[in-house]
Amino acid sequence: MSPARSSQLLIAEDLARRGQLPAAVAACYEALAINDRDPFVHALLGHLMLEGDFYDEAIAASTQAIELDPDCSPAYLALGLAYDRRGGMWDQSVLVWHELAEVVPDLVIAHVQLGEAFAAAAFEEEAVDSWKRALELDPKEARAHYNLAIAALKHEGMSTALPTIRRAGELDPSQDELFFALLGLPAEQIEFDIATVKPERDARLFAAGMLLRGEDFFGASDLVRIVLDENPADADALALAAYAYLKQEASNEAMACALRSLTFSADLPTALYTLGVVYSRFPGLSKHSARVFIALAKSAPQHSLTHVLLAESLLGLQRYGQARQAYRAAVRLDPACVRARFGLAAVRLTEGGYAEAQWEIRRAAYYDTRRQGNFWRMYDAYAEGGDA
Amino acid sequence: MVSEEATHLYEAFVSQDPAKAIQVVERVRSSGVPQTQLFDSLFVPAMSLLGGAWAEGRIDEIVFTQASVVAEQIGSFVMPPLTRPDTGVTVVMGSIHRDRHGIMKDIIASALKEAGYRVNDLGVGVRGADFLERLEETGARVVIVFAEILATARAVAGVRDLLTAENRDDVVMLVAGGPFAADPGLARSVGANGVIASAESALKLLGRVREDLLGGGAS
Repeated sequence: MSPARSSQLLIAEDLARRGQLPAAVAACYEALAINDRDPFVHALLGHLMLEGDFYDEAIAASTQAIELDPDCSPAYLALGLAYDRRGGMWDQSVLVWHELAEVVPDLVIAHVQLGEAFAAAAFEEEAVDSWKRALELDPKEARAHYNLAIAALKHEGMSTALPTIRRAGELDPSQDELFFALLGLPAEQIEFDIATVKPERDARLFAAGMLLRGEDFFGASDLVRIVLDENPADADALALAAYAYLKQEASNEAMACALRSLTFSADLPTALYTLGVVYSRFPGLSKHSARVFIALAKSAPQHSLTHVLLAESLLGLQRYGQARQAYRAAVRLDPACVRARFGLAAVRLTEGGYAEAQWEIRRAAYYDTRRQGNFWRMYDAYAEGGDA
Repeated sequence: MVSEEATHLYEAFVSQDPAKAIQVVERVRSSGVPQTQLFDSLFVPAMSLLGGAWAEGRIDEIVFTQASVVAEQIGSFVMPPLTRPDTGVTVVMGSIHRDRHGIMKDIIASALKEAGYRVNDLGVGVRGADFLERLEETGARVVIVFAEILATARAVAGVRDLLTAENRDDVVMLVAGGPFAADPGLARSVGANGVIASAESALKLLGRVREDLLGGGAS
């Protein structure tokens, strides 16, 4: 059973959860003035220092928390991330992630980070084993897939790595979100009853898009069918049908609908997206997918993933320099785009830029781990007396 | 002509007749349409017709699915060739003796193989005599020597000395690795004919070597 948390610590926690980092740090120091042997306070301080990119301070605070309580799992997380983000401390990093993977064996991030620490220390086989372990726990863990693709690139070249990069991309929910953004759907999911959808084209297509996002393919298909019965040349409806087929692994049906859609609206982004994704599944159609994704990147240049898709198709054509430009365009639009960062790492490796590749992978980890917010999950579990 | 054949191909899809579909493909191919064009000129319009038939309700969901299965079955007949044609150029490559770095070498070897080059990868830590021996065995006239540290980069001069000693001045020696990228003069000093800075530059340089020195022929 974990000890009770002080009121000063609870204030610090509340401030930290609301993103008020300086005030939270000040509250932590006040809590330490009352009791400097509270592992919660040191762990929280380590996290806050990490959030502020003060890595040495994060290392000191997290280490202190672990010394006070060797079972303090959130402190291991903050410590490992601090080592990784600081760089040059791969031996310590390996130890911490290994320890955390032992303490919380189903914590996916521990295995992903352990793999990256192993790779940075040139233990390639151990790295691959760690990423495979992460994928056993979560087959959709994108960064494990991307890391395996980079490992494949190093030993077997781009032709082996690229399918893994694309597979990871398709598992990545952000690729589906690109389609819905191209469709113009709002970011939030709206609940509705199909029976109440207005008998109008736009309302039906909007509802079909929402149903597709919720993976209700049959409901969406029914609405699309009604629109097509009224106008079989409706490019938007055909594009939605193409996407529905794509998501059900019916590539040829998706291709047929997307091609039909493009005969009525040659630069419709949603149809271009689906056709490009279908083409990219066939190794012989690299040129075709590049052509389609060039059109998509031109018609929707504000979305970082359109540039990523273009870059990947250029990798398939061995146009690494152009792929680098497309990836950079993606990173300019979204510095936290993990897929673009790994793509850039792959391109830099083809240029012999090992350090630059490593840097891109570290940036990907930086943004990905910040986004995941694992600390609070582990911290709350620790506070409740269990592991994460 | 081809658009008519696209209609025939579409009809073969809908009637779930793969044999007829293959006949259409073969007919178009024998009319002079190259393999690289079959997908765009025949398959794409046929698939668009298929999508249109489904959208217009002329075929139902089941026929659409079955027709797509036929399209899948004949896909390999219309796909552009997966691998690029053999260039006929053999390339011997490896990391120089006492240099164990292999990542760049492996990536470039894979890129060249994909582009149709015949790659003889000797691995890492390769002695000069081994490069020469493999050149003799394969009849290759291009060797790529990798070195990632300055001391081993300087030692690449020994490979050129061996080639000269054996009257193999016809061999094009390219070098790759950090020291050569950082100091272009180093490549000249070891007798290299060119520096490979990346996988893409390897493809470009080999393309030029093939055109300029080998006259596009095999070696």
